[in-house]
Amino acid sequence: MSVLEMREVTRTFGDVPALRGVTLAVGRGELVAVMGPSGCGKSTLLNLAGGLDLPTSGSVSVEGADLAGVRDRAALRRGAIGYVFQDLNLIPSLTAAENVMLPRELDGVRAGRAREEAEAVLREVGVGEAADRFPGELSGGQRQRVAIARALVGERRLLLADEPTGALDTATGDDILRLLRERCDAGAAVLLVTHEPRYAGWADRVVYLRDGRVADATDTPLESAR
Amino acid sequence: MSIRHGLLALLSGGPRYGYQLRVEFEASTGATWPLNIGQVYTTLSRLDRDGLVTPGGDDEQGRTLYEITEKGREELARWFATPVGQTDRPRDELVIKVALAVAAVDVDVAEVIQAQRMATMRTLQELTRAKRDVADGAAQRLVLDSMIFKAEAEQRWLDHCEAVLRERKA
Repeated sequence: MSVLEMREVTRTFGDVPALRGVTLAVGRGELVAVMGPSGCGKSTLLNLAGGLDLPTSGSVSVEGADLAGVRDRAALRRGAIGYVFQDLNLIPSLTAAENVMLPRELDGVRAGRAREEAEAVLREVGVGEAADRFPGELSGGQRQRVAIARALVGERRLLLADEPTGALDTATGDDILRLLRERCDAGAAVLLVTHEPRYAGWADRVVYLRDGRVADATDTPLESAR
Repeated sequence: MSIRHGLLALLSGGPRYGYQLRVEFEASTGATWPLNIGQVYTTLSRLDRDGLVTPGGDDEQGRTLYEITEKGREELARWFATPVGQTDRPRDELVIKVALAVAAVDVDVAEVIQAQRMATMRTLQELTRAKRDVADGAAQRLVLDSMIFKAEAEQRWLDHCEAVLRERKA
């Protein structure tokens, strides 16, 4: 079963169609990158995949549950899906560990256990030493790792990443992709939106979106005619 | 770039056998430039003729160890100090193909661009996989990085072509 399954998804804002029938599945251990010119519908696609928005028609399922039919979508968003956005949204007055603990505490996990989970996942993504430091005291690469730790905590199996390399230099950006890749290899499903070909290169499959439709994907091997 | 300078660079790290040079040459260029052993020995004998390397004695298995000479080190330093000129690189076939697609009639340039974009993306995926598999060896990783940067530049240029052509149509 796919972790994320989108079928014939359309989304219209007023009269303006942003997505016109997109079918896309992301399985366990799979990293799928979505590329395309600005205005092609990339961000809309990610918002729909994460249950931040609902399609005009078509369906979006996460681990078999149709998001339109889920009663507590907020709980599903917190429990099953991790988000990594370009502008990290770490809370500056909370330490790295406290930022990572936050979604777990919202889920009712008691502080002691949330703290242990946060420290474990911070170590896993290579910033264990940063647990008690504030976002302002960390480098750009470290902050992005903390954001990824927060997206992963609590065994969430679908990770949505929107330009997660932001303004990082290419070597640090590569490290972030290597980390996402490792999470995939450990069984997570990752949907990555990027406009940078070098980061899309880490994906198992690259989907090219144009005018709200899937224009092309790299999973059908094509003969190179060069 | 010539095989000569490649071998001199490797020999600057100490004496090597021909076979060893071949293996190290391929490893450090990220397997982008396969050599056959004949090329290695031909090159070594020319380097010897020019006084840039000197063959030592044979070992018990009959293999000859080669060593770089002082003159060889000077030649290598001169080579490293000389930047690569634009004219030393061959024409870019893709640029010419797209330019001709624009100039020709009855060619769907957008399709040519899209087909290339997907092919280059696959190349990028393959290069990235190869890079992930490099356990250690900075030279090999940097060669792959260079190819990744080139593929990336190609993608950007294709996006640019598309944008410029769309503007002209509008």
